[in-house]
Amino acid sequence: MNDKLKNRILCAAFVFIIAGGFALHLLMPDKALSISERRKLAQAPSISLTSMLSGKFSTAFDDYVLDQFPGRDSFRTLKAIVQYYMLRQKDNNGIFLAEGNIGKLEYPLSESSVLRAAQKICSLREQYFPDANVYLSLVPDKSYFLAAQNGYPALDYEKMLDLLQKNTEGVTYIDIFDTLSADKYYTTDAHWRQECLHDTALRLAEGLGVEDAFAWDYEAHTLPDFYGVYYGQAALPFPPDTLTYLTSATTDGAQVYNIETQGTTSVYDLGKLTDGKSMDMYDVFLSGAAAVLTVTNPNASEAAKGRELILFRDSFGSSIAPLLLDCYETITLVDIRYIASEFLSQYVDFHGQDVLFLYSTTIINNSAMLK
Amino acid sequence: MLFSSITFLYFFLPVVLLLYFLAPRRLKNTVLLLASLVFYAYGEPRLVVLMLASVLSGYVHGLLIERFRGKRLGRVFLVSSICFSLAPLLVFKYADFFLTNLNALGASLPLLKLALPIGISFYTFQILSYTVDVARGTTKAQRNIIDLATYIALFPQLIAGPIVRYTDVEAALRTRTHSTEAVGDGALRFSIGLGKKVLLANLLGELCAALKAAEPSVLGSWGYAVSLCLQIYFDFSGYSDMAIGLGTMLGFRFPENFNYPFIAKSATEFWRRWHMTLGSWFRDYVYIPLGGSRVGAWKHVRNILIVWCLTGFWHGASWNFIAWGLFFGVLLIAEKLFFGRWLERAPRALQHVYLLLAALISFLIFDAATLADAGKAIAGLFGGAPFTNAQGLYSLSSYFVVLVLAAFGATPLPKMLFTRFAATPVGEKLTPILSLLFMAALLLVSTAYLVDGSFNPFLYFRF
Repeated sequence: MNDKLKNRILCAAFVFIIAGGFALHLLMPDKALSISERRKLAQAPSISLTSMLSGKFSTAFDDYVLDQFPGRDSFRTLKAIVQYYMLRQKDNNGIFLAEGNIGKLEYPLSESSVLRAAQKICSLREQYFPDANVYLSLVPDKSYFLAAQNGYPALDYEKMLDLLQKNTEGVTYIDIFDTLSADKYYTTDAHWRQECLHDTALRLAEGLGVEDAFAWDYEAHTLPDFYGVYYGQAALPFPPDTLTYLTSATTDGAQVYNIETQGTTSVYDLGKLTDGKSMDMYDVFLSGAAAVLTVTNPNASEAAKGRELILFRDSFGSSIAPLLLDCYETITLVDIRYIASEFLSQYVDFHGQDVLFLYSTTIINNSAMLK
Repeated sequence: MLFSSITFLYFFLPVVLLLYFLAPRRLKNTVLLLASLVFYAYGEPRLVVLMLASVLSGYVHGLLIERFRGKRLGRVFLVSSICFSLAPLLVFKYADFFLTNLNALGASLPLLKLALPIGISFYTFQILSYTVDVARGTTKAQRNIIDLATYIALFPQLIAGPIVRYTDVEAALRTRTHSTEAVGDGALRFSIGLGKKVLLANLLGELCAALKAAEPSVLGSWGYAVSLCLQIYFDFSGYSDMAIGLGTMLGFRFPENFNYPFIAKSATEFWRRWHMTLGSWFRDYVYIPLGGSRVGAWKHVRNILIVWCLTGFWHGASWNFIAWGLFFGVLLIAEKLFFGRWLERAPRALQHVYLLLAALISFLIFDAATLADAGKAIAGLFGGAPFTNAQGLYSLSSYFVVLVLAAFGATPLPKMLFTRFAATPVGEKLTPILSLLFMAALLLVSTAYLVDGSFNPFLYFRF
C-alpha cells in the first residue's frame, strides 16, 4: 500500500515536472538577450530537410532549448548554490568568491601566449613606430590580489613580467601593480574603479614623463545597480556595484571620434545606458569596445599642447584614458582585438607619438585574441 | 539524443509518454518504434537507414533460421545472419583499426574514416542474440516486424544498453501491463540514473580533466585514477539506471547491468557485477559455445583469453581496449589457476585492496589513447614526479565532497540505510514524501546543471 502510494506520488510529480517544463517552454516568449551573460540567446532554428539530414538542426535545437529554458537564470543560480554551498566546490565555471569579491581563475601561465604578446608588441613597434618612445604597463587581474591569498591557484605574475620584459627590448616598463588593490576593482566585475585610479594614473603619467600636466580635479557621478560581468557568471545573489565616473572641464570638453562609426561622442557615453543595445554599464567609458578611437582635448594646457599618445589597450584603457587626458592634446586608443594590426596604418597616423601598451594580465595570458 | 539533455527530458519524453499512453494497446509498439526512430535519427539522421537494414536482416534471418532449423540450410542462414549482423560493425567500427595496423606492417591502404553509428555495438549484439536463440530453439522467430524492430530499436536501451536479449522482453512485446505505480517506480529509477550521470559522473569528469591538465604529481595521478574509475562507473551505471527506469515506465523489465562492482573481492566477482549484460552475453554466445570450462586446462585458458580479448575489442577499436580486456583475462586465469583460493582465505581488506588496485590500473589502460600513455599513467601512480603540487591539490580539495559522495554512492550503504530507515514506523510514514523530495531534487538540480552546461557527452555513447 505504502509503495503504491509512493509510486503514484512519484508518477504525478515526474509528469508535473517534465510536462510543466515542456508547457512553459511553449508558452513563454523567447528572449533575445541574456543580460547576465552578456550574450545573444539562441533562437528557434528553421527546419529544412538539409538541416535535418546534416544534423545541424538537432545541434541548433539543443542550443535553443538550453538558452530558452524557462527560468534559466534561476536554474543557473540553483546550480551555483549546489556547487558552492552543498558540494563545497571552490569555484563555479572558474568563478570564485573571496573577501566579499567575485574573481575569476586565470591560470596556469601560458608562456607561449606571453611570448606571442611580446612578439606582437615588437612587430608593431618595428612596423609603425621604430623611433617612438614605447612603454608597456600591465594591469593585474583581480586574481592577483585574491587568488593565492585565499587558496586559489594563480598565475606566476613574476614570470610573466620577466618574460615580457626580456622579450620587449627597448620598451620601458611602467609598474602599476603596487598602486592597486582588490578594493580598487568592482566587486561584481573584472574592471577597476575609475575613482580609485589616482595613484595608478599618476604612476603612468610619471612613467610617460607627462606628470607636469597631470591633474586630479574631478567631480564624481554615480550610477547605481551596476551588475558586472562576473555577477552573471557567478549566478549568485550578490549586491550590485555602484559605477562612478569622473568628469572635469577637460573630459567635458574632449571629443571622441570613432573611426568605425565615423561619429563623435563624449568621453562618457550615457546613451549606452538607454540605447537598448549595450549589455554592460561599463560601456559608459568611451562607449565601450571600439577598434580605434581618437580623443582630442581642445582645452589642453600649455604643458600638454602638442603631446600625443597612442594607447594600445583593452577595456581597462577605457576608464583610465580620460584620467590621462590632461596630459595630452590627443590620445588615440587602439584595440587590436577588433582590428588587424596590418590595417592600422589606414586608420592611425603614426608620426612619432609616445606609445603605451596597457594590457591586463588576462589578455597577455590569452594573447591569441590580439590580431 | 542523450537522456541527460534538455531536449530529451522536456521535449521528447513528455511528448512520447503522452502519445504512448494515449495510443490503443495494439498501436503502442508502433508508437514506440516511431519514437525510437526519431530518437535515433535526431543524432544520426542518415545512419538510421543502417539500423533499419540490420533490423530487416535480423527479421528475415530469424524466419529463415526457424523454417530450416535442424537442417543444413538452417546453419547456413545462421552463419549468414551472423555475417550480416557483424559486417556493419566490422566496416564502421573496426575497418580503420585493421587498415592502420596493416599500414604499420608496410601496406599503404587508405582509411575509410567512417562515422561510427551510435549504439551499433549494442543493437548488433541484440540482433545476434535473437537469431542465435531462434537457431537454438530457445525462442520463436518474431513474425511481426514492428514488434521485432521495436525490440531492437527501443530507445531506452538503443544507444548504450543494457544489452537486452529478445527472450528478456519477448512476452512484454506482445502484452505488458501499465500503471501509474510503474511509471512512478521507473521515474525514480530514471531520476537516480540522471543524478548519477549529471551530478557525479560529469563532475568527476571535470576533476579528471583538471588533473590531466595539471603538472604531474603522484597524488594527482592517484586522484585521477580514482575519479576516472568512479566517473566511468557512474556514467555507465547512471545510463543503465535511466534505461531501466524508462523501460519500467513503458511496461518492460530490463535486466540489471551493475551491482556495486567496486565492493567485489576478486576480478572474477567484479565481472559478475560490472556490465553484467555484456558479461553474460559473451558467456552464453562465445565462452560456452567454445567449450567454456568443460575442456582441458589449455583450452580453458584459450577460451578465457578469446572472450576477454573480444570483450576489450567490443569497447573500442584500439589496442588499449584489447589490452584492457586481456588484463582482466589474465587476472581471471590467474585467479582460477593460481591464487584464487589463497585470495579467498586472505583478509577481506586485502581482497578489496587487490580488486580496487586492479580496477584502477585497468581503467587507466581503458582511458589511455595509446598503450604508451597507459604505461605512463600507471607509472605515475608510483613516482617519477613530485608527491603533490598546487594545481593538483586545488582540484582534489575542490572536488573532495564530490569524491566522497561518489565513493559512498558506489557502495550499497546508501540503499541499505534507506531500506532500514523505511522499515521503521517513522520511515514507513515518511518514505513517500522523502522519495518525492529526493526525486524532485535530483531532477531539478540535474536540470540546473544541464542548463548551465553545454557539453555533456556519454562515455559509452559510441560503443
